[in-house]
Amino acid sequence: MKTPNLKRTLMGATILAAGLNAAPSFSADITITMAAPDWPPTRFMKEHFDQTYTSPDGHTTTLDMDFIPWPSFYERVAASLTSGEQKYQMIVTDSQWLGAFVEGGYYLNLTDRINEDPELTAIMQDLHPALVSAYSTYPHRTRAQLEEAGVVPAPGVNYYGFPQFPDTYVTFYREDIFCHEGEMAAFQEKYGTNLPCTYEDWQDTDWEKWGQIGEFFLREAGDELAGETLSEPFYGIAYQAGKGYDFSTMQINAFIWQNGGDIWDESKAPEAQAEGVVNSDAAVEAFDQYLSFLQYMPPVAKTGQMDIFVEQDLYMQGKVGAIIDWVGLGEPVLDPNASTVHDKSAFGPAPGTRKDDGSIDRTGNIGGQPFVLTTWNSDEVVNEALNVVKWWLHPDTQIEAVKNGGQSGLMSVMASPEYNDLRPWNRAHVEMIDWQKDVWHIPEFFEMLTQQQEEFDKAITGQIGAKEALDAVAEFQQELLEDIGMIE
Amino acid sequence: MARKHREIGKAGWGYTAVASVIGFIYFFPVFWIILTAFKTRTDALAVPPKLIFTPTFDNFVSVFYRASITTGTSQATDMGLYFFNSIFIAFTSVGLALIVGTLAAYAFSRYPLRGNDTYLFIILTTRMMPPIVVIIPIFLMFRLSGLAGSYWGIIFLYTAFNIPFSVWLVKSFFDELNPEIEDAARMDGATERRVFFGFCIPQILAGLSATFVFGLILTWNEFLFALLLTGVETRTVPVAMARTLGGEVGVDYGLLAAIVTLFLIPIFFVTFLLQNQLLRGVTFGTVKK
Amino acid sequence: MAVLPTEKHTSPATPHTRGGFGGWLLDPKRRGALLVTPAIAILFVMNIFPLMWSFGLSFFNYKASSQRVPRFQGLENYQDVLTDDKVWERFQTTAIIVGSSVILQLIVGFLLALLFAKAFPMRRIVLMLVLTPMMLSFVSVGVFFKLFYEPTFGVVSYVLNKISSEPFVMLGSPEGAIAGIVIADAWMWSPFVMLLVLAGLVSVPKYLYEAAEIDRASKWRTFRTITFPYIKSLLLLAVLFRTIETFKLFDIVYIITEGGPGSSTETIAVYLYRTAFQFFKTSQSSALAYIVLFIVIVLTNLYLYAVNRRAAEVD
Repeated sequence: MKTPNLKRTLMGATILAAGLNAAPSFSADITITMAAPDWPPTRFMKEHFDQTYTSPDGHTTTLDMDFIPWPSFYERVAASLTSGEQKYQMIVTDSQWLGAFVEGGYYLNLTDRINEDPELTAIMQDLHPALVSAYSTYPHRTRAQLEEAGVVPAPGVNYYGFPQFPDTYVTFYREDIFCHEGEMAAFQEKYGTNLPCTYEDWQDTDWEKWGQIGEFFLREAGDELAGETLSEPFYGIAYQAGKGYDFSTMQINAFIWQNGGDIWDESKAPEAQAEGVVNSDAAVEAFDQYLSFLQYMPPVAKTGQMDIFVEQDLYMQGKVGAIIDWVGLGEPVLDPNASTVHDKSAFGPAPGTRKDDGSIDRTGNIGGQPFVLTTWNSDEVVNEALNVVKWWLHPDTQIEAVKNGGQSGLMSVMASPEYNDLRPWNRAHVEMIDWQKDVWHIPEFFEMLTQQQEEFDKAITGQIGAKEALDAVAEFQQELLEDIGMIE
Repeated sequence: MARKHREIGKAGWGYTAVASVIGFIYFFPVFWIILTAFKTRTDALAVPPKLIFTPTFDNFVSVFYRASITTGTSQATDMGLYFFNSIFIAFTSVGLALIVGTLAAYAFSRYPLRGNDTYLFIILTTRMMPPIVVIIPIFLMFRLSGLAGSYWGIIFLYTAFNIPFSVWLVKSFFDELNPEIEDAARMDGATERRVFFGFCIPQILAGLSATFVFGLILTWNEFLFALLLTGVETRTVPVAMARTLGGEVGVDYGLLAAIVTLFLIPIFFVTFLLQNQLLRGVTFGTVKK
Repeated sequence: MAVLPTEKHTSPATPHTRGGFGGWLLDPKRRGALLVTPAIAILFVMNIFPLMWSFGLSFFNYKASSQRVPRFQGLENYQDVLTDDKVWERFQTTAIIVGSSVILQLIVGFLLALLFAKAFPMRRIVLMLVLTPMMLSFVSVGVFFKLFYEPTFGVVSYVLNKISSEPFVMLGSPEGAIAGIVIADAWMWSPFVMLLVLAGLVSVPKYLYEAAEIDRASKWRTFRTITFPYIKSLLLLAVLFRTIETFKLFDIVYIITEGGPGSSTETIAVYLYRTAFQFFKTSQSSALAYIVLFIVIVLTNLYLYAVNRRAAEVD
């Protein structure tokens, strides 16, 4: 090929080349190319790998990360896989994509290797079962189904992925206003219950109180807030209600599950139905409750554009008192350059639904990403890739990751005494992770998700009601799933 | 061309003032983007929106350097390479399309084939197809031919995108030329080469410049194909720009604005230099007398 | 510079007669074909061949995400697409957006052209202010217009909130969302129309106006009989190109509304993207794309036919 020469000549001639650093070239035995979204948790993985990894098999191993911008990540990976390019040995993936790319023959089934390798078995046993269920199994098995088997790995289950960044949503709140004496007293007087200030208070916060907080902190310009006069309107609460990707489904599913409703349960296919389940009374009631809080949120909620980043921005700019958002978006909140509330923020578990016995159900939809291996590699490469997996899921690496803004899925790491203090949201994250379930993993997930997001968006923007939206979703899913034989 | 067009009347500085105000209102969104490039995140999202603030150059530094996660030291972002790639790929492919397109346009204008219009229409048709459709075949083709991730792959692709436009525009310039002059030259013994380079090309230079600028504008910001078909080494700025659209925070407005501002400079400069040709070129080709 | 490379190219035409293949190839009879060959070759490899490929795919039930061997199913994909209410809804949305955006571009572009038709000091610089929007990327235009409309942080919202008591939520209704997209797109591409119209205006020989002045023709009559004929063909070209390009409008829509609220701004290009890349209905998306192409071709032909007929009438 002439290209490199041409390029070198041209680059030599241009001043723009001055800022480049040439990639160091090792005489590598093995190069593992990994598709990764461009953000700190993956950047950390690469940096830490370069600093600490030595192959136990004596290889010289290079981890070559292809950092792809988040918003284009799916397209790039999907195009690479479906074209048969076979470029990547490892891929960071959303758990929902498992079905599509396993069925396509791109993601490597690791069940046998996990069974044969005691080290990997031990890792799987130490991983939180909610994460294993969401990140690793296809066909999808729920946590309950995995735990029923009594052994890890469970027989008859296929395993694929390992946590790269396990994520849950928690409450981000303004300590300065939630712990302000005047506001606390006023709240107590108005609602006969306390304004949540400490972590323990948030553990006892249900959706009813969430609504009260929203109503209570809805302030006009000129009103007082925590002793100061506002120059702009202020809002109490916000959570995701955006049309893009899964930016409303993730929160709405929590409401539905907590209220005793369900989404179409693929782990019970082909018996599980969509009609009558997705649009059950419990689900409609839950969705209505979700919609009822939107009135207290910043006006962007009326446009169906309150995605996970918009609420984060509103919070960081001091326009809203409390939000429910991913732990993965927590770091910028503490950054003085990005956030006006970096020194005023605290974190608690997300609110839930109060049960008859007084306990709170916080079932939520898991976020974050696993990483997987691909199918076209030699045994040598696969083994080395699994060495990288073991390195990544080693407690030392995991603790370092958490120190640098990551999260761990290992129960032993989460149980270590220092864990909760490493980052301010860790305690909430550990509490929340126990409640996580996941949305569907089947190859048709994107079609279902898109249609659902569209109907939810209509309800969020007030074009239709909760019942109408869920009826449309149920009808669509029933037809689609019957077509592909997932419902009989 | 020596002949200078005369404008409809001449106006004074008063007119300039009015036009500047209107022009600036139109320009305001761009102005806001450029301002944002000098703002911190907090200033960029401040309510009320800030016109006066302490400017920061951090965004421009962040275009080329990022802090390491583990050590905090600064690392190059390869953005310099991406700027080079964008300039190299766009200029080469638009230039190539112009050369190839001019030859074809000359042929369509001087040696009409049977069904000439049909060919021309087919050429235009390739520009109408929603690009999404050809992505999978092109992606596959690139992989098989080894063009994926190479400069030549993306350059040829962009060349192909620019050919329809070039052929159509340049043909209209050739059509306007007086063929009698060419015939007279041939009578005098001028070679075909001399007729082409000596008579035709000099007369349509302005038109060619206009075509070049149009092509550049249409190519400069191409995103989808660049995303899928360039590799780490050949990535262009619009693709790299996407990293500012979400990740740990939502849109990094300041950083995006800084990249946009820097990326605007080359094409702005070229357009400014060729502005007169741009106007004359377009006119010359398409106005029927 | 733009035109220099052309001169490096050796002319394919030589006056000498040669024997053999070279002579056959360089025969003046084949000169036209020879000159067209490079363009056609590149187009064939990079455009036409992939187009035919996906045309073939459109008759199968191929899904890029599945390992199943594709099965030939004739026109079934076309039938599915054409009987899908969703597709028709998307076409309507696209028609509304393309129609209103192109009209707005024509109006704004025309007015701007009138403004810049006069020579005035520093025109070159002031003109650059107006030309800049089309040099921006779709992505950045989408992102910043979305920010301008944002009810809390946006400049536009801020100003309008000062005037009205109701909070301004432009993207909250289908109409508002369409307006938001059309404004962003028209803002970006009106300069293109302006450039073409301006080129026409500048080319009108001054003596024609002087003659009109002597005849005391009304302004409207001057415009209709002198100015308009000069800008007509350019205006038509602008409509043609902008319609073709706006039909493919994707990034701005995807970034500003993602098709919302509901599906009220989902254009056919966005829908096509979803079918091809999110749903992996590779074959079906090819079929849909060919229907889109067919519609654009029919529209273009109708348009060119109308233009030519009018031109014939005028002559």
